[in-house]
Amino acid sequence: MRIALFTTCLAEALAPRALKATVLVLEHVLEHVLEHEGVTVELPAAQTCCGQPMLSNGLPADAAILARRMCEIFAPYNAVVTPSGSCCSVVREKYEALFARGSADHKAVVALAAKTFELIEFLETQLKIDPATLRGKTPSAAPITCHDACHLRGIHRHGSTAPYLTRACCGDVRELPDAAQCCGFGGMFSTQFPEVSTALGEEKLAHVASTGAATLVASDTGCAAHLAGLAHRKNVALRVISPAEALAESLGLLETGAPNGGNPGAPNGGNPGAPNGGNPGAPNGGNPGAPNGGKP
Amino acid sequence: MNPLIAPPLPFDMKPRARDAVRDLKLQQFVGNATHLKDTQRGGIFGRDFGHDYDELRTVARDTKQYALDHLDELLERFITNAEKSGAKVHAATTGREACEIALNIARAHGAQGRAMSCVKSKSMVTEEIGLLPAFEAAGIKTLETDLGEFILQIDGDAPSHIVTPMIHKDRVATAKSFVRELGARYTEDPTELTMIARAHMRGLYRTADLGVSGANFLLADEGAAVICTNEGNFDLSVGGPPVHIVFVGIEKLIRGACDLAPFLKLLARSGTAQPLTVYTSFVRGPRRVGEHGGPKELHFVLVDAGRVGVLASEKRDLLRCIRCGACLNACPVYRKVGGHSYGSMYAGPIGAVLTPELERAQGNTDAGLANYADLPRASSLCGACYEACPVKIDIPKFLMHDRARLRERGLSPKSEGHMLKLWRWLAERPAMFRFAIRAVRLHARMLGSKDARSGAEHSWIKSAPGPGAGWTQSRDLGIATGESFREWFARRDNKSGGGR
Ligand code: SF4
Repeated sequence: MRIALFTTCLAEALAPRALKATVLVLEHVLEHVLEHEGVTVELPAAQTCCGQPMLSNGLPADAAILARRMCEIFAPYNAVVTPSGSCCSVVREKYEALFARGSADHKAVVALAAKTFELIEFLETQLKIDPATLRGKTPSAAPITCHDACHLRGIHRHGSTAPYLTRACCGDVRELPDAAQCCGFGGMFSTQFPEVSTALGEEKLAHVASTGAATLVASDTGCAAHLAGLAHRKNVALRVISPAEALAESLGLLETGAPNGGNPGAPNGGNPGAPNGGNPGAPNGGNPGAPNGGKP
Repeated sequence: MNPLIAPPLPFDMKPRARDAVRDLKLQQFVGNATHLKDTQRGGIFGRDFGHDYDELRTVARDTKQYALDHLDELLERFITNAEKSGAKVHAATTGREACEIALNIARAHGAQGRAMSCVKSKSMVTEEIGLLPAFEAAGIKTLETDLGEFILQIDGDAPSHIVTPMIHKDRVATAKSFVRELGARYTEDPTELTMIARAHMRGLYRTADLGVSGANFLLADEGAAVICTNEGNFDLSVGGPPVHIVFVGIEKLIRGACDLAPFLKLLARSGTAQPLTVYTSFVRGPRRVGEHGGPKELHFVLVDAGRVGVLASEKRDLLRCIRCGACLNACPVYRKVGGHSYGSMYAGPIGAVLTPELERAQGNTDAGLANYADLPRASSLCGACYEACPVKIDIPKFLMHDRARLRERGLSPKSEGHMLKLWRWLAERPAMFRFAIRAVRLHARMLGSKDARSGAEHSWIKSAPGPGAGWTQSRDLGIATGESFREWFARRDNKSGGGR
């Protein structure tokens, strides 16, 4: 079996740690849980963008060009795994409509759709990994909460991250109120209707805050960038990570990082575990009167 | 017509959306009501149908689709059967024609030298065709008898939701309006408020010359209409006046009572989380010999107003809509911007796709979309509407479809289009694409402010040019500037002797 990592352009630019975590978790599962000899995670070098931005913004012909590329690039592999819920759903449910039924392209995208999976989905439904076997040596008790990308609806995986991470003991997974509502990212929507997008994001952050969790697990790079960016601008201490990172940290494959925001630019703001590294409830975590805090 | 739902064209959604987001009352009223209805909807379907819910939606979808596919045949059957029962059936190609038909009916009954009056129960299609302004111009005084619509009428306001039209208002506003317009005593008690409206309306039902309503379904086999209400106001409007006119879009046709059950099961549950609306009324033919109530004359005005055009287009699925309002309640954008931001009586997700389409089908091809160019973009494509829709209309698909049409016709921002084209061009050239990503990261490293996020070194961009300005107006953009994923991957590869 050959497993390819589908990185997505957004994650390569914004969230390389999510990609590292995906590789580390997959390798851990293959080597130590399934004990598959010689199965590795490969990185097809030519991959770029799946075409979602074009598809969602009225350029289906341009998206089709990139869809064809995706099919070629991933043709040699048995499974294509990505940490991005949104790009996954594009391949799975949107590519088909770009090509005429019965055409070679259509067959190719159907084949690609059949072997493309979001990471947690791949672990759960394909490798059939009981999350209990992914418990770390010293399960974390830190409160976390999960926001699933809306596009996971399209592949019937919305709401599936939190239960999986709970059973994998990735922390004290708190239920996010109104979890079904979109965070307001929506790709270009976030720049076309910034006020609406922001209002939705702030509502999501308020719900996150109400759980008491200092770490938010978001199953899409776009949602994560949107929510982390809002939190950072408001100097709210919140760490936004991907499900892959949550698993990798829990398994001890990655060091637990520091929260973002909190105190941008402070001398020890970048030091994981430092006293004021954005610890919620810490004296200067989000205090608008703090020297570096507040709204610019 | 009220500019809130019939604004000057081309319509600019953005200022209304911006104002709505800042309107704290609107945020509270619309946010609370939609969340509540959406949660209750999930609850009642779970309780009553469990896993069969999806199957029920599939049945409803297919049943309605069957009717649309056989519309000609069903129309004929409906007309024959309705006429057999003594009703008169009229066909109107345009909204104006529909109004003309109604005016002619009214004129035939007008008493010399006396102003006519009309009692009307809730109907979206009459909003669409502008019936009330037409009646007003002809001197016919119309009373909205749906409580919500009545309050909007006396306030000169307009509906902002297809099922709960005054979702953007509260009891306090109603209490004040009743004091001002009806000379009532101030009360915020819902029962008392209802009684005030009731007392005001009762007498008018008895003296009205004309009753007007919409319909939820038309039954071809029976030549009858089905009207679902919670207040019984339809029954009064059809029971009192000597003449009643039912206005109905032709897409409301189904085969007959044999096909009605799934829709009744779905409509009230989807809209208001009720097992059924309080009243499910059937009208078939005028008053018969020996009957004491009912109109002496019953008219059906079958309205096209663009629907035949929609039926012939790729967006024909939209005609399955049973106007339950579930997609509005589920929509994150509707929850934030409210109904009036859509500049149409059809707000929310279904409105965003239906409004331009009806415009298009009625007039020249480009105008619909050009007049409402913001609507298809005002969505995060989250899919909550599709999930909520009892007849499985894939609204996100149609939004994307319209975005493509906007782009083709040069109605989308050019800079954005150029950027996307460039992005695609780069994406076909992996080396250049990687270089572009590296350039972004380098740029961020030099210009962004630093701190750590999730263990990787991040730089935060606080202001960006072009389309990025929309982002940085309220958000920072965190870009990882440390080792790239590919560098990391290659480093590990080398360490393990290239065996990976
Ligand atoms: S589109 Fe579907 S959910 Fe929306 S009002 Fe129509 S039937 Fe209801």
